[in-house]
Amino acid sequence: MVTFWAIPALVCYATSAALFVAHRISGRVRATGYAVATLGVGAVFHALDLAARGIQAGNIPVANFAQALSFLAWLTALVGLVLIVRLRMSVIGAFVAPVATVALSAASLTMTSARLVLPDALRSVWLPIHVTLAILGYTMFVLAASVSIVYLAFESRLKAKRPAGPVEGGVPSLEKLDRINYHLLGWGFLMLSLAIASGAVWADATWGHFWSWEPIESWSLVVWILYAGLLESRLTVGWRGRRAAALTLVLFTVLVGSFVGVNLIFPGKHGGNFG
Amino acid sequence: MDQTFFIVGVNHRTAPVAVRERLAFTEEETPAALRRLRNAAPAMTEAALVSTCNRVEISGVAADPVLAAEQALKFLAADRNLDSSVFSDAIYTMAGREAVRHIFRVAASLDSMVVGEPQILGQLKVAYANAAQAGTVGLVLHRAFHKAFSVAKRVRQGTMIGHGSMSVSSAAVSLAGQIFDTLKDKTVMLMGAGKMAELTARQLKALGIQSLLITSRTFDRAVALARELGGTAVPFDNYQPYLKMVDVLIGSVASTKPVLGRAEFELVIRERRYRPMFLIDMGVPRNFDERLNEMQNVYLYDIDDLGSAVERSRGGREREAEKAEEIVELELDSFQKWLSGLDLTPTIKDIRYSIERLRDAELGRNRGWLDSLEDADRERIELLARGLTNKLLHRILSGLRNQESATPDAVYAAEIARRLLVGEFSATDIEADEISDDDDGGGDAK
Repeated sequence: MVTFWAIPALVCYATSAALFVAHRISGRVRATGYAVATLGVGAVFHALDLAARGIQAGNIPVANFAQALSFLAWLTALVGLVLIVRLRMSVIGAFVAPVATVALSAASLTMTSARLVLPDALRSVWLPIHVTLAILGYTMFVLAASVSIVYLAFESRLKAKRPAGPVEGGVPSLEKLDRINYHLLGWGFLMLSLAIASGAVWADATWGHFWSWEPIESWSLVVWILYAGLLESRLTVGWRGRRAAALTLVLFTVLVGSFVGVNLIFPGKHGGNFG
Repeated sequence: MDQTFFIVGVNHRTAPVAVRERLAFTEEETPAALRRLRNAAPAMTEAALVSTCNRVEISGVAADPVLAAEQALKFLAADRNLDSSVFSDAIYTMAGREAVRHIFRVAASLDSMVVGEPQILGQLKVAYANAAQAGTVGLVLHRAFHKAFSVAKRVRQGTMIGHGSMSVSSAAVSLAGQIFDTLKDKTVMLMGAGKMAELTARQLKALGIQSLLITSRTFDRAVALARELGGTAVPFDNYQPYLKMVDVLIGSVASTKPVLGRAEFELVIRERRYRPMFLIDMGVPRNFDERLNEMQNVYLYDIDDLGSAVERSRGGREREAEKAEEIVELELDSFQKWLSGLDLTPTIKDIRYSIERLRDAELGRNRGWLDSLEDADRERIELLARGLTNKLLHRILSGLRNQESATPDAVYAAEIARRLLVGEFSATDIEADEISDDDDGGGDAK
């Protein structure tokens, strides 16, 4: 069910997204301050929404796809804010805010009004751990993809001898963007690994086997191997910069495909069908 | 007494530095010079002197600005021991709205040699402080300068006029900043010793780089430059092994064909594990094969690319300057409105407040006695006091308001009334806080 708080959260996210995009187009410096502030306010409302649903369910509200998507939107806004403020890269807001808006809208539209009750078998401490780790991992990959888009756009301008003019603040250097991308991928990979591991342990405790080749399990494994390869190529051959950014985007599309596809087309236990 | 604000002086456009330096005043000289000016130019009722390396200007207020400007110029010639023919061609004189626009544009750095440079505002603030110290600032200059400061602040906040590169070498440095997060751990190699290349290396060095390698066809030249800049000389026939450590490579070797080709560079890139590399080609003919720019994480800019980067940032500056001019015009209107006496509100408020406070104080002082009276008597006395002050106020205020048609006179009448009834510079005094409002942190001056 959608709580009251989701509405102001959505309004804030949308306003922030509009401001960030307007800032990229007009180059006005002041707009960013308001954009960051509204994103922050939106995240607070959204937190209240999550908390309200969490209390109702008696657990963290991630029992189905819509709820997971809402949680993902919130984490994206939150980690995005940290990047914007701590690393002074307002440009990333033009991705974070729209992603949060779209994800929360989609979540709110698909959220069923029926109260979700988990079967007792799944009521375990592993639920919040497993799901939070998985969604945190996805959040990192969302942000890594956003940073990569900025990298590619900025890099192609430098290559084409059309460097950023005086009206374009808030874009860090290529080196920094590349490093942030690497760190996000690293953290995302770690979270994904831990999510898979905790899922396996939980499955073993519940059903007596670690792995059941559910669609999402298989796809997670594929995604995990691909990200491992991406990180490995940087560490061994030194693939960084443009190539790393492009590969990050390719892997992200695979990830989105698996996340959406598996949840909507082949919903197994991960889709909320606990039969 | 129709008082007019005027400016007379020379700047970088009208006079060469040889003339400007002879007219210039040091900061310490200024207060004394202003007092001498006051004696030499009795037509001026207020005066200030702005002297920087790009301009020497006397601004003032006078009933007859033509006469006052003449006296000011005579003073300049006499005081600086110059024949006035030396600078008379370079002199510009402005009065009224035009002069106000000029001081606003100067403060906003629109009249600077390098438009948008941030120093001029500080220099103007010093000039104002000196004139205030010399006691030659009156109501109009006070207001004009403070308004100019607030215009400058609005321009700096509302436009990007202080951003962008000014020269080829600073464009190269700013590009390095877009590629690299920090230069602290970077190695720069200077190949050849062209002037512009050297200047770029110097600027990078000043920002703090890890090491500087210098190679040149004549090894002695490389050694000498290395000693001067604090780098390491590398023999020209053996620089290739060092390339893999180099993050910024500046080329200015005199050579008819490219010094660095694509094939040999492929290896360098792989050995560097694709860490980004910035190649600055300042050689004519060019030192580096232009196809190097197509390689992974390599950014090659030749002298023309840098030149157009400068053009681009100047172009941006022009757009920003247009925005700034709009701000100036807007503020100009509000200043002129004040000057022509339409805006008497603060003065009227001050006078009303002052008189009413006086009345209340008198009533308060007699409170004990008043309280001992019959209620009816007390009310009558209070009514009397109120009636008296209100009549007085009405007469003064309507007198001031009726002067609206008499242009600047109204300002002076109001000021005199204020001085008599309120005292000089009261609590609601005009934007007095602005001079202390230091906002000089925003520029990125190179």
